Amino acid sequence: MRYEIRVKGHMSETLAKAFPELDHVVMSGHTVLFGPVVDEAHLYGLLARCQSLGLVVVEMRQLPQ
Amino acid sequence: MTRRSVVVNAVAGIDRPGTGTTIPCVDPLGDPFLRTRIALPARPATFLRRERLVTRLDRALRTPLTMVNGSAGAGKTLLVADWAAGLGRPVAWLSTESADQGPGVFWAYVLHAVRAGGADLPAEVGCPVDARRVDHTLLARLAAELNTAEQSVVLVLDQYDRVSAPEIADQLEFVLRHAGRGLRLVLVTRNEPLLPLHRYRADGEMTEIRDAELAFTPEEAALLLDLHGLSLPLDATRALVDRTHGWAAGLRLCALAAQESPDPETYLKEFEAGRSTVADYLLAEVLKQRTPQTQDLLLRVSVLQRFCPELANALTERDDAESILVELHRENAFVEDLGHAWYRLHPLFGEILRAHLRVRSPGLEQELHRRAAGWLRGSGHLQETLAHGAAAGDWEFTAGALVDDLAIGQLFTSLCSDDLAELFSRMAPEASGAATHLVRAARDLCRCDLDRGLVHLRHAEEALDSAGGTGGDATARLSWALLEAMVARLSGSPDRAKNAAEAAERLRYEVPAHLLDKHPELTALLLTHLGSTLLWAGRFDAASGALSTVVGGARGASTALARQESLGHLAMIDYLHGWLGRAERKAMAALAESERFGLPRPSGSGVERLVLAGVAVDRNELTRARALLDEAADPGPVLRDPVSVAGRALVTSRLLLARGDPRAALAAVAADLGTEVVSPWAESQSAMVAAAAHLAEGRPQSAAEVLRRVPDGQPACAVEAARAQLAAGNHEAAITLLDRLRTDGRAGPAVTVRGLLLRAQAADGAADGAAVHRLVGQALTDARRERLRRPFLESGPWIRGVLGTPALQKLAAGWLTPARPRRGGPAGAEPPPEPLVVEALSGRETDVLRRLAQMMSTEEIAADLHVSVNTVKTHLKSVYRKLAVNRRNDAVRRARELHLL
Repeated sequence: MRYEIRVKGHMSETLAKAFPELDHVVMSGHTVLFGPVVDEAHLYGLLARCQSLGLVVVEMRQLPQ
Repeated sequence: MTRRSVVVNAVAGIDRPGTGTTIPCVDPLGDPFLRTRIALPARPATFLRRERLVTRLDRALRTPLTMVNGSAGAGKTLLVADWAAGLGRPVAWLSTESADQGPGVFWAYVLHAVRAGGADLPAEVGCPVDARRVDHTLLARLAAELNTAEQSVVLVLDQYDRVSAPEIADQLEFVLRHAGRGLRLVLVTRNEPLLPLHRYRADGEMTEIRDAELAFTPEEAALLLDLHGLSLPLDATRALVDRTHGWAAGLRLCALAAQESPDPETYLKEFEAGRSTVADYLLAEVLKQRTPQTQDLLLRVSVLQRFCPELANALTERDDAESILVELHRENAFVEDLGHAWYRLHPLFGEILRAHLRVRSPGLEQELHRRAAGWLRGSGHLQETLAHGAAAGDWEFTAGALVDDLAIGQLFTSLCSDDLAELFSRMAPEASGAATHLVRAARDLCRCDLDRGLVHLRHAEEALDSAGGTGGDATARLSWALLEAMVARLSGSPDRAKNAAEAAERLRYEVPAHLLDKHPELTALLLTHLGSTLLWAGRFDAASGALSTVVGGARGASTALARQESLGHLAMIDYLHGWLGRAERKAMAALAESERFGLPRPSGSGVERLVLAGVAVDRNELTRARALLDEAADPGPVLRDPVSVAGRALVTSRLLLARGDPRAALAAVAADLGTEVVSPWAESQSAMVAAAAHLAEGRPQSAAEVLRRVPDGQPACAVEAARAQLAAGNHEAAITLLDRLRTDGRAGPAVTVRGLLLRAQAADGAADGAAVHRLVGQALTDARRERLRRPFLESGPWIRGVLGTPALQKLAAGWLTPARPRRGGPAGAEPPPEPLVVEALSGRETDVLRRLAQMMSTEEIAADLHVSVNTVKTHLKSVYRKLAVNRRNDAVRRARELHLL
């Protein structure tokens, strides 16, 4: 499955490195992280990573294959 | 009920150095960092106390549950720490860590924190020794203690979001419910815990502080900035609060970043207008403003959970950490003070700094772990040494640290054995050296993989020999001796075990004494393996000697498994000699040991349950015997050694014999286990079962033949041989065999009573009525105490008439035959009733038992009967004793069997 996670604010390149498995793009006050998510454990792990980096998750959705 | 309020300076009470040594349940992991986890974090000078939140938190003293719930960097921890410090009473504080995965570790720390927080928990509460689980009775004891304590305990669990095991939430809920007013739980967490919060909310039993309340108001933000020497117009502050949503970490970083700027107001305006992610941007800004040395230090320590200046110096290879850390803490920038000169990075900033480290110095992380491991090893911090050594991928070092600390026994018996096993499971296959081979061998033996264990053990030996006896390898050689003894046990090789034990004895003098004191489990396990091997070889005296040393030795969580096993084996020796009562008491003591320390089920070889099953068979309590055998088999013993395998086969076949299925009994007899030496008792017991099966199917000659092949018949064997002779009509041969039995004083009632009955049978055949009465009377007297029923049931039809005579009827009534003999004579043809309770239950005890059967908790029973929890516990204890059980479920089951309910 593929997901996209939209977080508030423009993330620095350095911080984006904390998500090496995902691509990212910065747009209109948000940063969109997107890419393959192995399973649910991975998904929740990504959310926890956002939380521990102080990121505000605005939206998260599964992408069509 | 009102509670006395003890006014003690909480911080002073907890921070007192050496507190750890006075607490009975010492740190189960031997982790010297513990005190930094149970100490209240210090508040920095720039901390802003917000009265509205403190007042709100004061409600925590009136509700069972309080939840401070907010995002990373919302200022939760410091808020609660500040409140707790100002409370004027002790507070139990625990910073949970993701490293404590299992409930066992979690509760061990909670118990420690509660004790350090001033609660006087008696040692009977116990302490979990298995990382994966905690015994429910331990939680019940804890709750009951808290419930009856004079002063309620305020327990703060900081970073509760790191607790991932869902069962911990259930367990907390259980303790919280049953501790009544004795426990006030404060959870500081980023996520909602899995407790039934809705119920607490609906009952008004919960105090909540959430992100919205934690957010700074513009007025508070102004005060905070003022503390940092910044004064802004209110609308500028308001804009800042809007941009950061009043997020404490954001405001703090703003203040720090702006402080360094020549024009703070403009700087902050620019920040407000920006669209960067707040923490990310601000942290980079604040970091940029530090000196290169400070930046370097912050990035490097981000790989550590906590650090002191010396450790930080080891990572930076400079010597300026102390001043930098003091300064950073004073400024409230990134660093939190844990007391005792230990610090940690604020979790949020630590994460971001680690991301920066990876970008700035790729590949440095591993080297930093290596340096940290080196420093920690030198300072005696084993657990963290291992963690960092593993993170660095330096397995030779990591295994060496474990072996040098003489901690290899912890792979078998400790709270962290799972964590250790997990850690070393990542070990690279190419790692070499004596220590790595020893660790591999230990892991194989843990899984009873004898073949692979042997290979690794031999590699270890070769590595030790090729290194030459430099003297520095004594710990490795002692570790080798432990594993060698375990190999000896699994392969049934007494010579090997003795050699290992002798080697260990010599090495003890070469190993630093403090290491031996620190790891009593090593010696205890080694002696247990020795005792088990000697028992297998039939050297009962020598086995008893080794096993009794373990039982009489140091008592604690680390030796609990060895003590349980040793007691189980001593019980086995008594059982094999026919002493049922003694065997039962020791087996019960073994189970009590495992319960007291919350050992996992199953632990060890489970021999004590087999003994209890064997005793039950001899008492003709066949349902109970079956249940015990099933219990011992589910989910299978951890350690399958020859003693337990043969013991299981023996008891199973005896049970089948008692149930009248000789063919199945024969099939259940142990096959050759492929051990180094043949066990004389296992062999003779198998022969006895075979003989009994032959007899049952009317082949006395075959029975006698089977027994003749057993060398040096043991007393029990001699009795069975006599039975075969008697059945074949050779009375004289039988009596000669029985006469020889007299000379052996070691045989217990299970043997002697059978002997007496055979003599009686012979006398019956000779029509010597007086002798029959005398012998059966003697047999009844000896058997009665032990409730030994099987021999009478095995005796054949002649005994029915004998037991029917008035004098003997009295001796048999109540335990062997029904108290009021029914018409048609006493039992014998039909199985006698299940055992009667030796001591009748009192009315109150029955009341308690009845409520127990309704699944009521101790507290509920107390409330229902209008008595104290302690009174209920006293009743329960005597109920358990009278029913010869040690658990609630068993008590209820047994009471049902006995129709007491």
